[in-house]
Amino acid sequence: MPPEPRRVDGWIGFGVLLVAGVSVPLLTRDSYHLDVATVILRNLLLTMSLRYVMSTGQLNMAHVSFMGIAAYASALLVTRAGWSFWAALAVAPLLAALAAVPMGRVALRVSGPYYFLISFAFLEVLRLVFNNFFVDYLGGPSGLVEIPPPHPLLLTGGAVTFIGKLAQYWLMLVLFLASAAVLIRLECSRFGLVNGAIRQGELLAETLGVNVPRYKLGAFVLGAFFAGVAGVFFAHSQRVLHSSDFGLEPMVLLVVFTVIGGAGSVWGPVVGTLVLAVASELLRELHHYELLVYGLVLIVVMLCFPDGLVALPGRVARRFGWGRAKDGASTLGAGVAP
Amino acid sequence: MPIELLVQALLNGFGLAVVYILVALGLTLIFSILEVINFAHGEFYMLGGFAAYYLSAVGGLNYVATLVLAMLLVGLAGVVAERLVFRHLRGKTLNAFIVSLGLLWVLQATAQLSFGVLDKSVPSAVSGIVRLGGVIVSRERMFVILTAVALIVGLYLFLKFTRTGQAMRAVAQDAEAAALQGVNIELTSALGFGIGCALAGAAGALLAPIFAVSPTMGALPVVKAFIIIIVGGMGSLPGAVLGGLLLGAVEGVGTLFMSSAAVNILGFLMVIAILLLRPRGLLGAA
Repeated sequence: MPPEPRRVDGWIGFGVLLVAGVSVPLLTRDSYHLDVATVILRNLLLTMSLRYVMSTGQLNMAHVSFMGIAAYASALLVTRAGWSFWAALAVAPLLAALAAVPMGRVALRVSGPYYFLISFAFLEVLRLVFNNFFVDYLGGPSGLVEIPPPHPLLLTGGAVTFIGKLAQYWLMLVLFLASAAVLIRLECSRFGLVNGAIRQGELLAETLGVNVPRYKLGAFVLGAFFAGVAGVFFAHSQRVLHSSDFGLEPMVLLVVFTVIGGAGSVWGPVVGTLVLAVASELLRELHHYELLVYGLVLIVVMLCFPDGLVALPGRVARRFGWGRAKDGASTLGAGVAP
Repeated sequence: MPIELLVQALLNGFGLAVVYILVALGLTLIFSILEVINFAHGEFYMLGGFAAYYLSAVGGLNYVATLVLAMLLVGLAGVVAERLVFRHLRGKTLNAFIVSLGLLWVLQATAQLSFGVLDKSVPSAVSGIVRLGGVIVSRERMFVILTAVALIVGLYLFLKFTRTGQAMRAVAQDAEAAALQGVNIELTSALGFGIGCALAGAAGALLAPIFAVSPTMGALPVVKAFIIIIVGGMGSLPGAVLGGLLLGAVEGVGTLFMSSAAVNILGFLMVIAILLLRPRGLLGAA
């Protein structure tokens, strides 16, 4: 067993995220930098929630589809039903989670390779629906356009608007920190421990009295909810939705971010997303090679460090005999026998 | 509905399905030997298409030589991929799946950088049409179907009767037991992976004159191949043939009633239904 995640470590990490997030607007007001930082936060929300689903040993290839369901739902609620953005923000992620219940029930009936493939089937079906069906509502191949930005928030001191890059950054930061707090807290709770137990030995967990299907479905639905939160923000900050935003390529990108950091730890996706975001900014002249580089890095990491970058310091320490001896059991894929 | 229309639709469906069966057979062969789901399998189909373009459209080789050389080249690429990457991931299904997503990007990006993003066309080897009653088939399609069927039969005979083929089936059944009987697992796996990729390459080369060749051409066939092998049963070669014929029939008849997007969804609905009712597929082992 890896050591029990200590709650205090979780809050220290959360504090680092909070300080880093708040200091970005103090360091730069450049709209390009703020834009990059906002996208990083959105990706962090997606990868941390994907990691939560993966913590039970399931790689849900339809994660990005739940982002899409909430994005389209929110856009339609605001433009067609005349809802306020804030009401849509509360409801659309719930709709994504609601959609995840039957899909999770179907997908979790199978395991191993069949699970990735059925979740991939969901991804493709939903992408085809976004692209080709209900064209009057979803916009079809040319996309759903003219989505309004978040409405002003009326507070006692006056109205707060969300038009500029800075205001959108703050909004995304609040959404991210609130979600991250929940995900980090869950990791140090009974749920986190049980999910880890399922990943490392599903049968053993079951013999110890764990209701495995319920925990797996719970992780699936919760992951869908947080992907939905990211989706609502995506819809109203991009203000255009295309079906390709929710296809295989963005999905694989999330997998790359998560797995390179390490899916075994709650901090893995944070490390992976930040490292790759910084790397892709530094390598902007090599834009044409981006997918090539990501693909190569993914292959090398999976072959040489399957536990991801977060496990590297521990590996180095063990190599030189420093620190606590930790069990080297592979944190990824141990519990996914077909 | 006139019966000719139905027959024509079925024939159109089967015409494409038989080529997708080639892709699916390679995929299922690789899965049965290495327990690896290679999501990058469509990229070997794409390499087959480009091999056909450079050999026949640029190099001026005839059709048969093009097909044979394309299969050899793509098969060789498959052996390299197995040696460098997949050999280390035998049985680690999740890690191998993630790695294959990386390989997909690497091969696609490499193709874009070296071959360009524009569609390329490959000249047809045969032209004209054949009339059978009220049904019309182009000679080219007929040629593609016959070649694909010949390759499928060839694969069956190879696996059934040659020593190497029998070794492959032994490794698929139980790699350890096969090793104890003196089967060289390393060599057999590499060869199996190469043959699987060569079949995908043959499919790409066969369809190159019908569809254009481009770096992203592998996306559709790999999805069809996955549908086929899930419906037929993963790891089952007869299952892949049955699944492919079923998908061809459903899609062929489907085009009579619905839009092409709806037809594409039909295949996925088949997958979801099969996984719910009979998760091991129609002919899959229990």
